[in-house]
Amino acid sequence: MVEVDLNSLTLAIGKGNRAEAVRLTKQAIEAATPPAQVLAAMVAAMDDVGRKFQCNQVFVPEMLIAARAMRESMALLEPLLVKAGIKPEFTAVIGTVQGDLHDIGKNLVAMMWKGANFGVVDLGSNVPAEKFIAAAREHKAKVVGLSALLTTTMPAMKQTVLALKAADLPGLKVVIGGAPITESFAREIGADGFAADAAGAVDTARRLVAAA
Amino acid sequence: MTQLTSQERVNRALTRQDHDRVPRHESFWGETITRWKDEGLSGDAQTVLDMLGSDFHGLCWVWPCIFPGQDTLIEEDAQTRVVRDSQGKRVRYWKEKSGTPEHLGFECSSRDVWERTFKPALLDTGLQLDPDAVKRNYRQGRSKKLWCHLTGVESFEETRSLMGDEITLMAMVEDPEWVRDVSRTFTDQALRNFDAAMATGIQPDGLWIYGDMAYNHATMCSPEMYRELIWPDHKRLADWAHAHNMKFIYHTDGDINGVMDLYVKAGFDCLQPLEAKAGVDIRKLCPKYGRELAFFGNIDVMKMATNDLAAIEEEIKVKFAAGMATKGYIYHSDHSVPPQVSWHTYQAIIRMVKNYGHYA
Repeated sequence: MVEVDLNSLTLAIGKGNRAEAVRLTKQAIEAATPPAQVLAAMVAAMDDVGRKFQCNQVFVPEMLIAARAMRESMALLEPLLVKAGIKPEFTAVIGTVQGDLHDIGKNLVAMMWKGANFGVVDLGSNVPAEKFIAAAREHKAKVVGLSALLTTTMPAMKQTVLALKAADLPGLKVVIGGAPITESFAREIGADGFAADAAGAVDTARRLVAAA
Repeated sequence: MTQLTSQERVNRALTRQDHDRVPRHESFWGETITRWKDEGLSGDAQTVLDMLGSDFHGLCWVWPCIFPGQDTLIEEDAQTRVVRDSQGKRVRYWKEKSGTPEHLGFECSSRDVWERTFKPALLDTGLQLDPDAVKRNYRQGRSKKLWCHLTGVESFEETRSLMGDEITLMAMVEDPEWVRDVSRTFTDQALRNFDAAMATGIQPDGLWIYGDMAYNHATMCSPEMYRELIWPDHKRLADWAHAHNMKFIYHTDGDINGVMDLYVKAGFDCLQPLEAKAGVDIRKLCPKYGRELAFFGNIDVMKMATNDLAAIEEEIKVKFAAGMATKGYIYHSDHSVPPQVSWHTYQAIIRMVKNYGHYA
């Protein structure tokens, strides 16, 4: 049997080397490495990218290529995870609030959430509150992430948080973020958590779900 | 000190020489002006700028496009319209609102497509400004003794507009020479247009270049990557301005603390709008960079949006004190005044700016 070096897989994803990451994932699958172990190696890579991102050791370009390497490797692993009954940690719904068409920040958070093995339902941009509520209900989400780029759409974020809180969705946590968003604004509008950046959104979601 | 003209005032602020008062300018969201009209403003954004006493006068807007004038409507609904724009990308715009459009797809998605189609098309475009209009604007600005500036967009903004954030940022790692080529080509085109403006015989005071290269957490790429791929063209623009006896103002949103030394090294004269909510604070920047740079903005729009006049006054008071200590400070919000700010509040802000902005 081929010796499988999962540390190398972690490194390849962390460096965004997608060809190497895919090769090592195939090798791990062929060697019948337990899918949970392969998944753990991938998640470790994205956790490391997140930590480095938060202290400006890597920036958005490096995060993007790491997330792409993870995505391509994950596509190979996913059927085996399903077969083994291994599910994402939990499901998170994400979108940019109504009135806001910008989506790079939201996309980065979605990538990092997927990299952390959360199931992610991405509703896109300009999403009305009712759509967040319906998606959270349909997918039994534990977390909803709301993004806003513009100061002009902060009132829509407040309305969305209020609507989510008023809906009958027990245990659902709402995390908000985006260029104009601050922790104090999150508190003011009744959000459960605030994420200053894409990597922070992983920590915030994990913490809130663990505490629920 | 006797009252200076706007031109004299801004020039002195940009060179940290004594002047009479803090120069002023402002930007607003469209919805803000709409709200203010409902609350009693008689006029438009220019009316507010006149009330504020803006010292600035733009002569042109240079944003070289690949297919100028070829925006095509693809579809529309009650609120939005989808357009294939003059950079060959599909974008969704609000019909009645301002704000950043949604990027739906980019035709310039590979180096091959760039080299085969987009670069030749860009090189084939003629002038994208009207020299006669520039000259007219110049005469108008000079008659009012305002600080006249050429305005344009830099290559990082152009590249992201052409290829989208994800393609651009990944190419910066995986195909840096492609990004250099795009950046260099767009900068060549911008300078060609600015040269045409100068050929009309005008002598503007400055070149004000827009390009957001940062967001609330950091710059979009590492300082090293910026230095390698984009900075050479930023320096070319600053050098061009200086060669034409103009000052260079650079606009970027976001947290730029990590690249300040590179801005100084490129010869920038002034930074704007210094986004407070992204952690940019002139109280920290002025002591460190106040000898090399002037600072333009940094009054927190989030504080303005509270409509808490005491909090806003404190913000203006402390930031003005920090900026004025270097003699190199110009008033502007740290972004654009949002519609959460009432007309009553903004009129108070104008009074505060005038009150705190006078040099003894």
